[in-house]
Amino acid sequence: MRTQILEVLFQRMRTNTDVFFLNADMGINLVERFGESYPHRYANVGIAEQNLISISAGLCNLGFRPFAYTISNFLIHRCFEQIRNDIALHDYPVTLLGTSTGFDNAPLGPTHHIVDDWGSLKSIPGIDIYCPSSVTYAEQLIDQILKEGRPAYVRIPKGEYAEPTSTLNYVIIEGESKGVVLVSYGSLVQTCLEARRQDPSISVLVVNRLHPLESKELAEILAPYKRVMVVEDHFPITGLYGSVCEIFVQHGLRGRLESAAPTGYCFDVGTSSDYFLNKFGLDATGLLRRLRE
Amino acid sequence: MSELKPRFSPAVSPVEVRKSVLSMLHRSKASHLGSNMSAIEILMAIYSSVDCIKIRNNEPDRSRVLVSKGHCAAATYATMAAFGIIPSSALETYHLNGSTLTGHVNHMVDGVEHSTGALGHGINVAVGCALGLRARGFPDRPVFAMVGDGELQEGSIWEAIMFTSHMNLSNLVILVDNNGISSITETEKVIDMRPITSRFRGFGMETRQVDGHNLSEIIGAIQSIQGSGRPGVIVCDTIKGRDIPFAERQPIWHYRSLTDQQYSEALVHLEKLENKE
Repeated sequence: MRTQILEVLFQRMRTNTDVFFLNADMGINLVERFGESYPHRYANVGIAEQNLISISAGLCNLGFRPFAYTISNFLIHRCFEQIRNDIALHDYPVTLLGTSTGFDNAPLGPTHHIVDDWGSLKSIPGIDIYCPSSVTYAEQLIDQILKEGRPAYVRIPKGEYAEPTSTLNYVIIEGESKGVVLVSYGSLVQTCLEARRQDPSISVLVVNRLHPLESKELAEILAPYKRVMVVEDHFPITGLYGSVCEIFVQHGLRGRLESAAPTGYCFDVGTSSDYFLNKFGLDATGLLRRLRE
Repeated sequence: MSELKPRFSPAVSPVEVRKSVLSMLHRSKASHLGSNMSAIEILMAIYSSVDCIKIRNNEPDRSRVLVSKGHCAAATYATMAAFGIIPSSALETYHLNGSTLTGHVNHMVDGVEHSTGALGHGINVAVGCALGLRARGFPDRPVFAMVGDGELQEGSIWEAIMFTSHMNLSNLVILVDNNGISSITETEKVIDMRPITSRFRGFGMETRQVDGHNLSEIIGAIQSIQGSGRPGVIVCDTIKGRDIPFAERQPIWHYRSLTDQQYSEALVHLEKLENKE
């Protein structure tokens, strides 16, 4: 979905002269045209992520709307203090564009597994966090962010998914009963939809904006379900499971709440994300097996 | 606000700014006396080189001043007051409950561009400002960043320098408060960076080295850098705790706050210096 997001961003650079695109020497065959077409609003800062963030903050001082792009695993943790101090404390509308989520970079090892990124950012007040589950949502996201005018992180999964065709921050795809709802985001929504195809009684709640959540509305959706399973490619305590736990407590929900998620760092090779999804029971077969338990 | 009359030259001398800083630190029992005293002429040189009216009015094409060593907040606020950017009455609230004049520079104070306090941030934000001014069509509008010599140990500093040199952000001038003391001991004992200028020259920056307590010498170096067409670094040799006899070159005065007796002793010394001027 990064192709679609960058395409929209490229178009907006033409019409919105406040948009500034920066990258940390990433995005081969994708980012070059930004510099060629808009050399004064483009910078490849080099392999220097801390500088990427603080320069973006400095550009906000001049009224720009910077989009800072690199792969998610380098974008968040190394620059945590820069994100906190230079962006969040100043409420600067920098958009962090991070490519890859979960086990997208499977065989590259644990430094490239993105399983604790957005949960870290959730601890900082004022940052909107998005993880698009479909091309439809991704294509409108740049405009949504430009309109919101707040600090934002977009966690961009690999893959281009046609479903669900919703532009909303969350959408419920109802099953034939109120027995089970799977709550998920990003590319794992596809796994949940596959599980639903195999068992049409299952509902799927798709969350495209991970933080902040529309807590009251989501509580109303979740309330009738007997069993709520949060399915994610991120550690659950700081991830969506933690946020849904909050909703359960705040709104007195009484269903059975559980997590399907990675349980720790992985040091074994998986030639694709399928290996790790299978390992943690995050493929459709694994989810259905859990539900039988 | 009627007391605000922004100006290009200060209404007061460095000794008078030192007296303000001494009073601020004593009133609030604040720390960082050493750095605040070493940085005063550097800050005065910076504000002498910018249009303070534009800064006070927050005009889009104003020069940007970034205090990367944010613990020099008292000196920054006192200098800003001396140049009419903030009212001098605000200084009385420094470091006290409810005030925005925090112990590290705070962007909630009018005229402060960016809150700093963790080191190795302000200089990178200054680079963004320099890039942004260029993109907005003000490539000659200066951006100043003041950093400490101990702060140079932060890796992000060198990310900023490499990019600045590569992009030839010639509107950026960096001033190093080279007071020779890092956090708990002499900088050379922690990481010996001497000669500092050669480190920056190695990355392609223009460099100058001056007496950091000689206002006209610093201003001259700023003008010289600005005439070079290259981004530059001015290493300002200073004394930590300058003009406070018991605190000069003493690392503990990064942390200690003034007793009433020490305050009186320091004030007497500064008044003697003032009478000599």
